[in-house]
Amino acid sequence: MTAGVLLFCFDTEHTPYHKILERCVRLVKKNVSGEITVVTNFSTYQKMSPMGSINYKFMEPEIGNKKNGQEWNNVDRHMAYDLSPYDTTLVIDIDYFCFSDNLKQLFGTDYDFLVPDTAHDLTGRNTFDLRKWSMIPMVWATVLLFKKNQKVKRIFDTVKYIKRHYPYFRDMYRIYDRSLRNDYLFAMALQQINGFVGYEKMPFALPTLPPDCEVVEIMDEGITWKYKDQISYTENQDVHVLNKDIANV
Amino acid sequence: MDINELKRQSDLSYDIAVAKRNALEKAHSRQVLAYEGHLFRADPGTICLVRALKEYNDTFYVLDTNNNPVEITDTDGFLSVLIERNQESLNTYNNIYKTFTKKGQ
Repeated sequence: MTAGVLLFCFDTEHTPYHKILERCVRLVKKNVSGEITVVTNFSTYQKMSPMGSINYKFMEPEIGNKKNGQEWNNVDRHMAYDLSPYDTTLVIDIDYFCFSDNLKQLFGTDYDFLVPDTAHDLTGRNTFDLRKWSMIPMVWATVLLFKKNQKVKRIFDTVKYIKRHYPYFRDMYRIYDRSLRNDYLFAMALQQINGFVGYEKMPFALPTLPPDCEVVEIMDEGITWKYKDQISYTENQDVHVLNKDIANV
Repeated sequence: MDINELKRQSDLSYDIAVAKRNALEKAHSRQVLAYEGHLFRADPGTICLVRALKEYNDTFYVLDTNNNPVEITDTDGFLSVLIERNQESLNTYNNIYKTFTKKGQ
């Protein structure tokens, strides 16, 4: 049985995501797994610094999705099942920094598919209570664990189906956000395929820094950020950073 | 107390409250552990349940964090892992908590 981490990384005109990937890979190798596959395109790959022994899969990202008016190449997550070379895969967004080994233990579980459904706002403002923005509870597809089997394949097939008809499903579930968001895509697929009665989840909230936080420093053990005039830090705790200026820190 | 001192104290209290909340969240995340292919939370409830059940049976069933039943055969081993993880997370929390006390003085 093989197990590893799958990461997606595509540079855009505005954001050199490969720089974020380099930090992410270093932390994943240190705290989660040495077995890593990066899905990227050749132009992004050419800019990457050497990161040691990792596997690459090349594809061109599907374009057209936007966030805050800027290109946002994030709609290929539905292909994780087909692209992963592992029996057990942990998909992690590259802006999720693993400062702890908490995710590592997920490889040792029997669950077919796990996703977290809550996020913890590290600035204490509770900005991730998104329940009112749709008729469906959102999941955080930032971190996904899945095994390769028929049950999980059906989940990903459902994700693909909903993605193809996203405007219909977005309106049906009255999702406020107009852009395609993996979090809702997986939330809808999991609800549909599981007969509308719930599904298995990761039992922790993802520690998250909202986009209006400026990341000041990233160390091997933790991260320092600034929100208004307040400087804070955390160490040995995973952090999901939503401000993409982190590429320049 | 002048208004500047009040503002300074209020900001400091807020910073400490947020940092405490983050440290507690970190402890809660750390208390999640994988055992026999399932996830459990090494919290007081689980530890007390396992200890109580172990007094009556050599093996017993408990629910994981997703309400799946799991048979525990090595009851001493399971309890030991739960306590170890619980105390590891709270020890870290305690160390962070001490820095809040210093800041507040």
